[in-house]
Amino acid sequence: MANVLDLRRRIRSVKNTRQITKAMKMVSAAKLRRAQERALQARPYAQMISNVLESLMRRSDIYNEETGDVRHPLLVEREEKNVLVVVVAGDKGFAGAFNSNITKAAHSFISQRQAAGQNVDIESVGRKARDLVAKRYPAAVYQKTEEHYDNELSTHFEVTRQRSAPVETTGEHPTLLNKVHIDEVSHLAHTITERYTREEIDSVYIVYNEFKSVIAQRLVVEKLLPIRKLGSHEITVAEEMTEEQREAAAHAARTSGVSLGETEDSVIESEAKKFGTAEVDYIFDQQPEKLFRNLMPRYVTTQLFHALLESVAAEHAARMTAMDSATNNAGDMIDALSLEMNRVRQAAITKEIIEIVSGAAAL
Amino acid sequence: MADTNQSGLLAVRLVTSDRVLVDTTAEAVELPSISGYLEALYGHAPLLSELGAGEVRLHGGESGNQKFFVAWGFVEVLPERITILAENALRPDEINVEAARAELAEADKIRHEAGDDGSKYDEANALTREAEEKLASAGAATASH
Repeated sequence: MANVLDLRRRIRSVKNTRQITKAMKMVSAAKLRRAQERALQARPYAQMISNVLESLMRRSDIYNEETGDVRHPLLVEREEKNVLVVVVAGDKGFAGAFNSNITKAAHSFISQRQAAGQNVDIESVGRKARDLVAKRYPAAVYQKTEEHYDNELSTHFEVTRQRSAPVETTGEHPTLLNKVHIDEVSHLAHTITERYTREEIDSVYIVYNEFKSVIAQRLVVEKLLPIRKLGSHEITVAEEMTEEQREAAAHAARTSGVSLGETEDSVIESEAKKFGTAEVDYIFDQQPEKLFRNLMPRYVTTQLFHALLESVAAEHAARMTAMDSATNNAGDMIDALSLEMNRVRQAAITKEIIEIVSGAAAL
Repeated sequence: MADTNQSGLLAVRLVTSDRVLVDTTAEAVELPSISGYLEALYGHAPLLSELGAGEVRLHGGESGNQKFFVAWGFVEVLPERITILAENALRPDEINVEAARAELAEADKIRHEAGDDGSKYDEANALTREAEEKLASAGAATASH
């Protein structure tokens, strides 16, 4: 049986751990509030962009006269032979099963596609996603060829890709989640849309953690391209929270002052929904076709931006929940250890008394 | 909002991808559309236009006289309301002149290395225009102080 001194030492160490997890929980709660705020502020823009698009879709001039199809490469549906999947995980650990759930979902999606004979390209976002993806799948190999002509006055570069495995990582973005800056997201979105237009890839999916509120989150695999219907999220796989997880998250939120409910639409947001949808004949300063062409990549950017912001909020929420349960567990452990310690101490005292009494009786 | 109809003022809102920068009223608004500046007063015909890079200038109303740098996006003009959707928007005092100069240099670099890739030139030109407008906007701000 452990002695009192050992137990006391263990209790002290668990108490220290509890302090750390508690501090981490509060930090995550503060970060979560900020992330939630950002996600909320980004909503009007996303709403308005999809409204302008919708309003443009009603115009007849962007349709092909013969076939009646919308003339834009991002709306073209092809047979899915090469699939791109954007995996969005977290930057740091200590967030419960957050990162492993995402990679698990990504892996099952990838192997499913692989089984169907499709080639899969991966773009990982977040440090953890990079680490977990890089371990399993090789990076794509690009070859740059240079051609000189006109007496070395002009050069022509050509980058060709040699596919050596059915699943390859084509890009890593470990720092994108630090700030989630629109310019960086836009850069990623542009490379994606450009690859789609070039027909290097036939569809784009994004695996991320959707965040509506602390107790309403789910892991989704969403189709980003081709765009089939504007404004609606096309979700192929979704994994809801279990009742247990929801309870743990609710407890964590209550004890750290994060609101549970879904944030209501602000005035601006409800007005945003009306943007560009007034029942009037707009004068278009540019040709609708041209407007449309420039809008499509922006639409993809905002979709991606939105997903990243939600994922960041979800990461903080997951860490907050994980640290809350860690704090609770530490508390339970301290209780159990204190009980044990008291018992040991009592036993020692009893033993001493018995010794004294039996000593006295022997006299 | 309700009284703007009587007052003859435009409700102006400048929204960027991550925040609502301005929400005010004005008598007149100058906008940098992609094909040149346009000015809208109360009662303008409904218009949708793509935004270039340049300055949004608000005159009168609650706004007083304010200027903002914007780059790329869309604008919706309704008779009593203007909504500007900008990919990038900054107050004049938020413009980082150093960064804008660096952007100019980077645009030159892209142009230099573009070879025969047409899209690279477009990218470089867009970047140059944005940086130049940024500098012009910042210059105007320092001159007026």
